Amino acid sequence: MRAAVSLLSSVLLAGSTVFAAQSPAPAAGAVPDYQHEVRPLLSQFCFKCHGPDEKTRKGDLRLDVREAALSKGKSGERAVVPGKPGESELVKRILSHDPEEVMPPPSAKKEMRADQVEVLKRWVEGGAPYAPHWAFVAPQKAGGYAGNGGAREAIDFFIRERLKAEGLVPAPEADRYTLIRRVSYDLTGLPPTAEEADAFANDPAADAYEKLVDRLLASPQYGERWARKWLDLARYADTNGYEKDRPRTIWPWRDWVIEAINADMPFDRFTIEQLAGDMLPGATPSQIIATGFHRNTMLNEEGGIDPLEFRFHALADRVATTGKTWLGLTTGCAQCHTHKYDPITHREYYQMMAFFNNADEPDFLVRPPDFETRRAEVEAQIAQKTVELRTKFKPQAPEAGPVAGRSGEESEEVRREATVARAFSSWLEQERKVARPWTVLRPQEARANLPVLTVQPDGSVLASGDQTKADVYWLKYPLPAGKITAVRLDVLPDERLPAGGPGRAYYEGPKGDFNLSDLRASVGGVAVKFSGGTHSFAAKNTSAAAAIDDNLQSGWGTNGAQGQAHSAVFRFESPVEGGRLLDLEMHFERHYSADLGRFRIAVTSDSGECIARSVPVEIDALLLKAENALAPEERETLFREFLLRTPELEAQRTQIDRLRKSLTSYPATLVFSERPKEFPRPTHVHHRGEFLQPAEEVQPGVFSFLNPLPSGERGDRLAFARWLVSRENPLTARVTVNRAWAAFFGRGLVRTVDDFGYQGEMPTHPALLDWLAVDFMERGWSMKGLHKELVMSKTYRQSSSRMGVAQKGAERDPQNLLCSRGPRVRLESEMIRDGLLKMAGVLSLKMGGPSVFPPQPEGVMEAAYGKPSWKTSDGESRYRRGLYTYSKRTAPYAMLATFDGPAGDVCVAQREVSDTPLQALTMLNDVVVVEAAQGLGRLVAAMTGSEEERLEWLFKTCLGRPMAQDDLTMLQRFLAEQRRRLETGELDAAALAGKGPGDVKQRALWTSLVRAIFNFDESIMKG
Amino acid sequence: MNTLENSYLEKVTRRHFFGECGVGVGKIALASLLCGSGSRAWSAGQGGTMDPLAAREPHFAPRAKRVIHLFMAGAPSQLDLFDYKPELAKLEGKPLPPSVIGGQRYAFIRPDAAVLGPQYRFSKHGQSGAELSEMLPHLAKVVDDICIVKSVTTDQFNHAPAQIFFNTGFSQPGRPSMGSWALYGLGAETQDLPAFVVMSTGAGISGGSACWGSGFLPTVYTGVRFRNQGDPILDVTSPVGVDARLQRETLDLVKGMNERRLKGEGDPEIATRIAQYEMAFRLQTSAPELMDLKSEGKETLELYGCDPEKPSFARACLLARRMIERGVRYVNIYHEGWDAHSNVAGNLKSNCGATDQGAAALVMDLQRRGLLDDTLVIWGGEFGRTPMVETNPLLGRAQGRDHHPQAFTMWMAGGGIKRGITYGATDEMGFHVVDKPVHVHDLQATILHLLGMDHERLTYRFAGRDFRLTDVHGKVIRDILA
Repeated sequence: MRAAVSLLSSVLLAGSTVFAAQSPAPAAGAVPDYQHEVRPLLSQFCFKCHGPDEKTRKGDLRLDVREAALSKGKSGERAVVPGKPGESELVKRILSHDPEEVMPPPSAKKEMRADQVEVLKRWVEGGAPYAPHWAFVAPQKAGGYAGNGGAREAIDFFIRERLKAEGLVPAPEADRYTLIRRVSYDLTGLPPTAEEADAFANDPAADAYEKLVDRLLASPQYGERWARKWLDLARYADTNGYEKDRPRTIWPWRDWVIEAINADMPFDRFTIEQLAGDMLPGATPSQIIATGFHRNTMLNEEGGIDPLEFRFHALADRVATTGKTWLGLTTGCAQCHTHKYDPITHREYYQMMAFFNNADEPDFLVRPPDFETRRAEVEAQIAQKTVELRTKFKPQAPEAGPVAGRSGEESEEVRREATVARAFSSWLEQERKVARPWTVLRPQEARANLPVLTVQPDGSVLASGDQTKADVYWLKYPLPAGKITAVRLDVLPDERLPAGGPGRAYYEGPKGDFNLSDLRASVGGVAVKFSGGTHSFAAKNTSAAAAIDDNLQSGWGTNGAQGQAHSAVFRFESPVEGGRLLDLEMHFERHYSADLGRFRIAVTSDSGECIARSVPVEIDALLLKAENALAPEERETLFREFLLRTPELEAQRTQIDRLRKSLTSYPATLVFSERPKEFPRPTHVHHRGEFLQPAEEVQPGVFSFLNPLPSGERGDRLAFARWLVSRENPLTARVTVNRAWAAFFGRGLVRTVDDFGYQGEMPTHPALLDWLAVDFMERGWSMKGLHKELVMSKTYRQSSSRMGVAQKGAERDPQNLLCSRGPRVRLESEMIRDGLLKMAGVLSLKMGGPSVFPPQPEGVMEAAYGKPSWKTSDGESRYRRGLYTYSKRTAPYAMLATFDGPAGDVCVAQREVSDTPLQALTMLNDVVVVEAAQGLGRLVAAMTGSEEERLEWLFKTCLGRPMAQDDLTMLQRFLAEQRRRLETGELDAAALAGKGPGDVKQRALWTSLVRAIFNFDESIMKG
Repeated sequence: MNTLENSYLEKVTRRHFFGECGVGVGKIALASLLCGSGSRAWSAGQGGTMDPLAAREPHFAPRAKRVIHLFMAGAPSQLDLFDYKPELAKLEGKPLPPSVIGGQRYAFIRPDAAVLGPQYRFSKHGQSGAELSEMLPHLAKVVDDICIVKSVTTDQFNHAPAQIFFNTGFSQPGRPSMGSWALYGLGAETQDLPAFVVMSTGAGISGGSACWGSGFLPTVYTGVRFRNQGDPILDVTSPVGVDARLQRETLDLVKGMNERRLKGEGDPEIATRIAQYEMAFRLQTSAPELMDLKSEGKETLELYGCDPEKPSFARACLLARRMIERGVRYVNIYHEGWDAHSNVAGNLKSNCGATDQGAAALVMDLQRRGLLDDTLVIWGGEFGRTPMVETNPLLGRAQGRDHHPQAFTMWMAGGGIKRGITYGATDEMGFHVVDKPVHVHDLQATILHLLGMDHERLTYRFAGRDFRLTDVHGKVIRDILA
């Protein structure tokens, strides 16, 4: 007993390991265990200068590898001579009092305590045995559990075995009311109703609890609850972050997560689809949407940023998040230098980055599954409406006199046709005057400073890949023979581009915008000048003329006409001789990246005036054909063009425009798309982790201290995802199981849920962790299966009280590391909010869709950039579950943030649990809590039955348990006092009760009590 | 482990093992903080109890007990306020040589943009003879009480990253801010008000809440915003219909129930919650009392030039003084709006008009009340502005200045800072620092130093690493210490 207590206190002081695994207490004189006692000390005091990072290694001495520690250092001394502390430089140095000699040196500002020095000394004495780091060795089912009762039984076996060794006993099972409340919050994030609690409490069936668990696991709210945990890791938010923090659409990914979890998608598939769903053969839209996981990184849209720099930051975030989420490693430390503690080299960090670096980051339209059918229908409707346009012309007035050869008594139909014919021919006449013979050119070469240019079948050029704030395209076109007078640039829409193009602006500026700052030409290698530019459309402050003015700050753009084709025509100062090569140089500069996404070039040798029009070159060609040379279908094409362009039908065409829009108005979610093989994006090591200091190039690769990629596997993102969830990977299953454990028990078997490296804590129950990890994989990575086993265990079902039999454990182990009692943890922010709404009977169970704006106190947004407004939602949207609340990174929803909800800036593996006066103010005064209190007050006021019966129901609804006599006394005293004050008019019943039907004093009375109950400690605790 | 941690660890562990836990008030589970394990797994009901805001001994005797940081967000033009460069007037209209500009990236201008001369007249003030522009007539009156640092440099040239960098030592969100570090190291001296307060005037803040966030430190160290609209502190006002007596009776019922629960469950965390509710109740009184400026004399209101009813920078300065008088440790006042990409002269006129008197009044007021000696006042932005002009017809900009990370000016006063000196210098064009460069990390180290903390020893173990405000950088600027 004494020994155990002193171990516990010393362990708390050392702050690294808590409760040495397996062995309750080291026997005096035993060789200290390397993993539990020695390495934590070496790691804390020595590795920074004598560890894996060779760049900062001092004296050429490395202590994390035994052979190195035993060999002669630079000084000629051996740091460690097994069995001989007196000859070991390490021991001499840590014992030294000479400031020149002592280790760690005074400059490190880390002093070893005498007991720590003693551990190292005894370890050397005992032969300095090393052991591989537990987490880097594949887990196995071992440790003595031989039953066949599954994981739940294994949990109890390992936990109780350890309790027994510590002389502790497990707590009794919690009562049924406590149990249903605990497991309901844990599995669905919601409390049970009073009726559900009673039904469970009174269910005589032997498997009552299991039935309850199965029901909860099958409810759609399970997926919402556990999606929220995953959203924390994915740093999900509805805005881009940084200064402007503008909205983004990525909720389709959030909905994908909910659905996947509800469907119990195996965690290995869940992983692969999110990291590399786009690369799966025949990837479905759902698998593409899944790749949004790593598009939750922030996007800086501040004026004048370097987009590539923030792309680099996003990549670093992806590496850190992947490390934390799957590997439980603090990979981020190796961004600037080789990891000081774990064996991750600087180079390997960038090799991991390379997996993610080869993806482009497009928007993906989320279309309904029947989209193609719908598109065909809409196209048919458009065709139909177009034909019908001809009927919109006014018939020629009959009194206009008889048409030649006719009697003058024509039908309206015939008279209308006459109008149509006249309008068409006058349009033709008009258009023929301005149509020019254009020859579409196909580039023989298209390259750019950084974007990837690919020539499309129609001779147009499509840009993809990275952008800078000053992009340049170089294009070579063979010119036809003749005297070329002008160049025509058609900018084209494309659904692969932001907002449908034609530009590629995706941040800060309007999506789909571009700015052609300068167009330069040379023919046969000699520069030629343009003398004039016209455009069919130009955004404010831009013009085609400004694209040939030699000023890179001005230019031409078509913002406002996204999704539409437009053209600009540039005339040569004097005609140029064809048959040679035309070199075009296009410059795109703005304070944001604004290059062109898709365009086509045509030339003409027409000597007349050329004005840019939106009419395509193909139509121009038809317009220039002699009337009698037109084939009937060509004439039909021209006629359709006429119908779609003639100003007379402007108003009549709105329906067609609307139809066309209905095909593009789908939400676009953020996804990954692996780059084409021909255009891999190189990855470099970055000196000191700085964007501006790229060093040598690296190929994708996994950490060498873990299992290798299967041989023959291409080193790409898909292979990486599969590697993460391969059976050989020692970390992923352990980390995942541990995180689940932490969610139910309040802390993990490894307390540092995000660090399984040398600096992380040792598992309290290593054999159990390994057993669960292996079992999890063996059972097909089923998350629901794992959750079920955890909550079915006796360990989970224990009472959480510290009194009675639990007292000894509470004193010895206040943190409950040994699980001698059940978990007692404060509810998460969403659970608190959703629970109150459910109790008040207003919670909406609507799933998915865009995020909503429930009420919050005014002033939350006032410090955010641009002071955006918070347009509070109406109706049902006020009462959606917390995970659907619009998450704004720079001004998070107040109530969620106050209760430790994350802002979405970084990957969060386990939320903080704080206890602050601001939380008390929220529970007492916040509009959501007040509304819920009024709602529930109204329900109680409307009930029939005695005060005591109502109190019984209310109490159970809020706290999930029957009321005790003492409770009743206190509540009744409170009620009596408020009733008196309401009767005398001291209290303003109407104000207290809020709007609503029913007796206002009754509602006010019960509202005042509900508000108090909401603030009881047990109301926000999972007991 | 650092000694600071050691000392409270021992205290707490002793307290815990001698059975004190669970009976005192204001104790909060803080296992990880105490153990330095950095695990975020510590939580309610999990042991080691102690108040994370209990006042603690610093590493060494502090010169400043409190800090008021006047953050001029958007970045004021040092060239038109403090750093007088007549050479710029001579060069006006001509580009700077590329050798001066080096590889610097710019937000909006091209590196060959022409030079823009000083926009205002400068003159010397006080015994120290410090040069200030005519835009700062009020500051001129306290110029002998402040230390002007003309050689500040930063790593960041965009607002959000630079503001976050200045506050947290790192350009991305997710690290603790200076105020959070100060509370982590020193605890709080008041139980009636938040110990770290944030106010703001002007436009919305580019860096957002990351500027006063607690990052990976416990949430309790987050800066608490005092708002201009609605309740000064979120939800500090009881709902309509709830009068003071009902609020008290509600709290009494809550307390009674919680005390019984504590007896039944034995979880010391319940005691913490009881204490937090009491503090919430006190906040409901102390916040309105703080905001009520009736007790301030007419002379004081005139000194600050503020309307006691209307939110303004000057009123925020006055409130800051009232806060520190009541034990608040760290106050941030943001004034966002200095981002003069166009018409820098007009921008300065309006922003100096809004801030100069309040800032100077704060120094005077602290001085005459004897508070300046142990209160550190800091004034400055996140970077400087270019000697070159920003003009852009596409954006309708003219006579502006772009972002300039290489050199900018800040001033500090009180709390152990030398009075009436100017420190550091830039070249003739005000482009580069040529004398005594002060990096943002150096300022951070200095601020912690003045608070009695060694920036290399104030660490927190998170994700396997001991983090510091200054990362692996920072040197205390000894020359400006009094």
